[in-house]
Amino acid sequence: MDLRRPLGFDADRPDSQTPRVDNAELTERLAQGKLVEGPEYATEDYVKGLTRTLIVSGDTELISAPAYLKAAVHAPRLQSYVSVVGIIQDELGHAHIAYRMLRDLGVDTDALIYEREPSDFRHPYAFDVPLESWSEMVVANGFYDRAGYVLLSDIFQHTSYGPWKRALVKVDREETFHLRHGERWMKTLSGDAATRDALQTAVDWMFLMTLEWFGLPDHLKRHREQIDYGLKGMTNDELRQEWMSTAVPFCESIGIRVPAHHDAAEGTFVIDCPFPAQFDEQEKRWLLEEGEITWDEVQERWRQRGPANEELVEMIQRGRLQRTTLAA
Amino acid sequence: MTTEARVRAALAEVLDPEYPVSLVDMGLVRGVEIQGSRVHVDVVYCSLGCPCIELIEDDIRERLLQLDDIEHVEVREVFDHWTRRDISARGLKLLRASGVA
Repeated sequence: MDLRRPLGFDADRPDSQTPRVDNAELTERLAQGKLVEGPEYATEDYVKGLTRTLIVSGDTELISAPAYLKAAVHAPRLQSYVSVVGIIQDELGHAHIAYRMLRDLGVDTDALIYEREPSDFRHPYAFDVPLESWSEMVVANGFYDRAGYVLLSDIFQHTSYGPWKRALVKVDREETFHLRHGERWMKTLSGDAATRDALQTAVDWMFLMTLEWFGLPDHLKRHREQIDYGLKGMTNDELRQEWMSTAVPFCESIGIRVPAHHDAAEGTFVIDCPFPAQFDEQEKRWLLEEGEITWDEVQERWRQRGPANEELVEMIQRGRLQRTTLAA
Repeated sequence: MTTEARVRAALAEVLDPEYPVSLVDMGLVRGVEIQGSRVHVDVVYCSLGCPCIELIEDDIRERLLQLDDIEHVEVREVFDHWTRRDISARGLKLLRASGVA
């Protein structure tokens, strides 16, 4: 086998799509710190776990594009609008990377993107809640892109899948810009009495929304193949901590309240309100007065999807409709 | 050190929003003009409609206003070509090290 092939494997060779090592061989390879360069070096379970992870990543990047586009119309200046459009272009590029790798794994990505039901998209519930103001737009850059950065940095450092590791160098740099854009604007909005309250209101619902994004706490998690196979390194709870380790001090530095603090004795960040909690989608408000709910209830809300789900997916799928109509 | 030298030294600390390379090493700073406590910085961007323009302008303003004798900063966009040949040798080295050049 030629390990020097630069990107993935040749998808046109049907035999290369078949996983062809057994679990012992894969474990041996991973133990030696060698990267997996294509499914022919992996087991079926590895490819399944990788596919699942890539679909979540691709869908999240993809759906952020229409979500941000709808929010960008609230930009206070043309140059601010251009900044968000630049970010959207980056996100589409990141989505393309994930889908391209899925195609190399034998997934029909046209069907995946254009023929799936909106409710079958695997982006987090956070993007099912519409972004409807400039404050929400820049908090999305400051919080959601930070979550993306934390998740992808972990994958970059720990993934055993070579093609993804190499592609993430560029993605990380671009996400740095998105995050800086968010922080710069949050700082600006926090410094002006006229915009400060709207910023705080956006943070109030989007902070917990991002904490929820990282998923089930470790003690409830069923799938372990992502970590066992070295697709990612940190657990959900560790990623949540990693996100708070920069998000909380940043918000404190600009005088914006968040329901979490650093516990110096424990060396961890502690959430100061009921979590997880129920969310009022219409009011965009956490029903903290009703107390903590179970993760089963959270997952039920996720399964129902949020108010923006169908519209955002439709915005993406309309592209193909227009293309086929023009071609006819 | 003259005011201009200090302004240029400060600009050399302002990093590109995406890469750990300064605006000076990226070849984006095309001129510095000082009138009393007022400074004009001429900047070229890598592309027309570059999404980072606003962020770069803010970063320049924030850094230069930290200088004692500077009270007003104006960033002027220069409509000129920018190519990778404008990147300094040190800039290229840093870009290579970050895996993108």
